Amino acid sequence: MSKLLIFLTLIPLLPILTTSFSPENPSSRRVLVLLDDLALKSSHSVFFNSLQSRGFDLDFKLADDPKIGLHRYGQYLYDALILFCPTTERFGGSIDLAAILDFVDSGHDLIIAADSNASDLIREIATESGVDFDEDPAALVIDHISYAVSNTEGDHTLIASDEYIKSDVILGSKKIEAPVLFQGIGHSLNPSNSLVLKVLSASPSAYSSNPKSKLSNPPSLTGSAISLVSIVQARNNARILISGSLSMFSNRFFRSEVQKAGSPTKHEKSGNEQFLTELSKWVFHERGHLKAMNVRHHKAGEADEPTIYRVNDDLEYSVEIYEWSGTSWEPYVADDVQVQFYMMSPYVLKNLSTDKKGSYFTAFKVPDVYGVFQFKVEYRRLGYTSLSLSKQIPVRPFKHNEYERFIPAAYPYYGAAFSMMTGFFIFTAVHLYSK
Amino acid sequence: MVKSTSKDAHALFHSLRSAYAATPTNLKIIDLYVVFSVFTALIQVVYMAIVGSFPFNSFLSGVLSCIGTAVLAVCLRIQVNKENKEFKDLPPERAFADFVLCNLVLHLVIMNFLG
Repeated sequence: MSKLLIFLTLIPLLPILTTSFSPENPSSRRVLVLLDDLALKSSHSVFFNSLQSRGFDLDFKLADDPKIGLHRYGQYLYDALILFCPTTERFGGSIDLAAILDFVDSGHDLIIAADSNASDLIREIATESGVDFDEDPAALVIDHISYAVSNTEGDHTLIASDEYIKSDVILGSKKIEAPVLFQGIGHSLNPSNSLVLKVLSASPSAYSSNPKSKLSNPPSLTGSAISLVSIVQARNNARILISGSLSMFSNRFFRSEVQKAGSPTKHEKSGNEQFLTELSKWVFHERGHLKAMNVRHHKAGEADEPTIYRVNDDLEYSVEIYEWSGTSWEPYVADDVQVQFYMMSPYVLKNLSTDKKGSYFTAFKVPDVYGVFQFKVEYRRLGYTSLSLSKQIPVRPFKHNEYERFIPAAYPYYGAAFSMMTGFFIFTAVHLYSK
Repeated sequence: MVKSTSKDAHALFHSLRSAYAATPTNLKIIDLYVVFSVFTALIQVVYMAIVGSFPFNSFLSGVLSCIGTAVLAVCLRIQVNKENKEFKDLPPERAFADFVLCNLVLHLVIMNFLG
């Protein structure tokens, strides 16, 4: 009896106990981190600690652990996956390329860090995500102009880049002052993939080659075509981060001072921590995740939503849009949200005005065309999840008794018609009685 | 030749008037009725040209009721004319009944279309 009582009291608590990924709470919560070597856990601890302090539950596993798996009984055990295992040829347990692609296809997030000598498996995952790593396994990105100044002359593979994507939603609104240190393999974007974006690109003087051998052939990847860090936002809003360097996540790079060659300023701390923290916030849906709710429309001056509109009705349309801030839904403020009144093509296209509290509204007149229309909001902006709303509504023509009557301009016509009728009666009388 | 033209026209008009004077009275009444209808239609067309074609259905019904009436009256005139041998077997009463029926149908349609 007491067991039953405990069970019954626990049932209402279940939604609170499970803090997993959901439309209401879109941040990733449970993260599986696959490592080559458990030493990475301490050498990259600053990055992991920043995730844990933001409430993520990190599960560290060796990549070849035979017990790892992404899902059990048809349920995913994790909301996101971090692959810090560039040399792994085969994952342990049930994880393989197809399992990872399924994981992303079902809307989960992924961070891939490769390095020189990256395994074929990691390269294949990257290729499926839309980027191609340099095929030469020993290749590194070399830059003899904008390398990071260090005590030893070195081979200029430690480069300092500050060529970021210009997007506040991806990199945060605070400007990243110090350049980002990078040492690793470069990749290029697949031109046929429109979803992948370069977040950090190499300088125009960079090239990708084996630093130990002489450069006999022109390098295949050169200049700003080399991407150092790329992101993908899939059509299901799953987000992927691909980096060509594992060491850029390390404590050593986070804490290192940086001076870009040719630049007089020496920064006490590299931009890596800020760059990767902000980027991980984006990848784990703490920023740039929109939701729309309460789509409403009604005739001007009325409150109820009609089942049908008549041509030339005046109507009002409103929708609420919120952005997930990591902990709560905040009003989303923009001036470029548009609504379409759509039947095969947009008949009305109007900018929505906002009250800065998340509510967007506009008013317009139904066009003088009847048929089945849709209210459509198609909102796709760099870094934001896409919003695609549509609500169907039929539009009918005037009813027979809704047309205007007794128009003053038509009185002469009415008069003519009636005078013809009286004329008919008079003529009939005259015709019959005139003999 | 040029001088004689006005004289010829005058002679033609005169002969036409004297010939029309011989027309029976009941046909003259029908002619007056036709002229009245056509004149009313013309007034409406001029009015439409000035005001614009906005209640177009009203304009059409107004003008068509006039034109229709005129056409029906002309038909009646052909049928009751004694000199017209084509309808000599048709009694004038029958022709008048046809005229009344057609007018009823016409005005029913006009009332529906007037708006």
